[in-house]
Amino acid sequence: MTTALRPGFERGVRLRTADDGTAMLLVPEGAIKLNASAAAALALVDGERSIDDIVAHLCARFDVDDARARDDVTALFERLRMRRMLVLA
Amino acid sequence: MTTDVRPLSLLCELTYRCNLQCPYCYNPLDLDGYRDEIDTATWQRVIGEAADMGIVQLGFSGGEPTLRRDLSALVRTAAARGLYTNLITQGTFLDAARLAELVDAGLDHIQISLQAPERELADEIAGTVVHERKLEAIARVQNSPIALTLNCVLHRNNHDSIAAVIDLAASFGVRKLELANVQFYGWAYRNRGGLMPTREQVAHGLEVATAAKRRYAGRMEIVYVLPDYFEDRPKACMHGWGRAFMTVAPNGRAMPCPGAATITSLSFENVRDRGLAAIWNGSAAFTAYRGTAWMPDPCRSCDRREIDWGGCRCQAFALTGNGAAVDPACALSPDHDVIVALRETGSRHPTLVPRRMREATPA
Ligand code: SF4
Ligand code: SF4
Repeated sequence: MTTALRPGFERGVRLRTADDGTAMLLVPEGAIKLNASAAAALALVDGERSIDDIVAHLCARFDVDDARARDDVTALFERLRMRRMLVLA
Repeated sequence: MTTDVRPLSLLCELTYRCNLQCPYCYNPLDLDGYRDEIDTATWQRVIGEAADMGIVQLGFSGGEPTLRRDLSALVRTAAARGLYTNLITQGTFLDAARLAELVDAGLDHIQISLQAPERELADEIAGTVVHERKLEAIARVQNSPIALTLNCVLHRNNHDSIAAVIDLAASFGVRKLELANVQFYGWAYRNRGGLMPTREQVAHGLEVATAAKRRYAGRMEIVYVLPDYFEDRPKACMHGWGRAFMTVAPNGRAMPCPGAATITSLSFENVRDRGLAAIWNGSAAFTAYRGTAWMPDPCRSCDRREIDWGGCRCQAFALTGNGAAVDPACALSPDHDVIVALRETGSRHPTLVPRRMREATPA
């Protein structure tokens, strides 16, 4: 997967952050609980930012190194793409 | 009494009216008993209460929910509270105007059910001419901003068409296809002898679905739901009784699952009389089988007790007369032979009774 791709949510998929800060991905007839790092990455998905942009944002905000963040984010997006929750354009 | 388990999902069964007559319908036999439907304002109050409780998923089903003129208004109420909205429909009323109304109201997802991939068989199962209109609705939703899932209930008379169902779904480019073997509630329970797939059909279906799953990976998600009667451990019905789901029937009766009214030893409260949260926390029907304290042996000491929560209460009641019995679908149940015997009804061919509003003699 090239990290120049721009991820966006598929139809019928949205991120929901509750008052207590916990996040889930709402999908047709389901809800997927997200851990803090997945939630932070998905909060940056808007169909405009590339994977590179998202990784840069995460590295600026959290104490993670670039390679690790890139691997995690790419793996997460690929899993969601396979389940047709994310489109990469 | 309060509980720390909180529901995630509410199914609003808006009406049991329907223009189709599927013999596998899970609606109750006494459809006439549900004609006194709760009104728009009551549904809106219930939806608000659901949001307050932290429910995130809302389903609108039936019967055929689009027969309620206020459907879009209810979707709008739910969307305004941030709830995710699903419409479960057979699609025959989804013309361009109705769909536009639902898009505008903020509907997130539509599930359309197909009876079969071929017109003749589909119309025969539905008991009326509907197939072409359904295909038009599928295409229309695919071209809208709303996510689409196709669903086909599998039973003896359409099981052999499974490959054609998959081809049809792929030709529309749908994102998800559910191939669900019939579950025996309501009319389906009454017709179980004629609906039960054969062991060969189930094995073949699983093989075809598994191959297709691989072929379409990343393009179309395919889910094949095995029939309970063919496995030796039960499913985690509703993720456990009173743990994640609530259903409100057309007449306002609040239940832990859509089939719960068949457990005639329980009494249910009505949203006309009491708030949703109070019913969830305190109503006898919700607390009856919540958690593990009610369990008999061998569930009580079984290491799967918090995985399947003892299986399906409705099935336990239907087959043993005791809602607190071990689900007979479990091979460890003392009543498992009832299930084994039922599998064999797949070799007989009784006539199917089409679902109808006026049913003189319930089985
Ligand atoms: S299963 Fe068939 S008869 Fe029952 S509500 Fe659905 S479409 Fe109508
Ligand atoms: S004994 Fe009870 S808990 Fe154990 S697998 Fe069977 S139904 Fe589930």
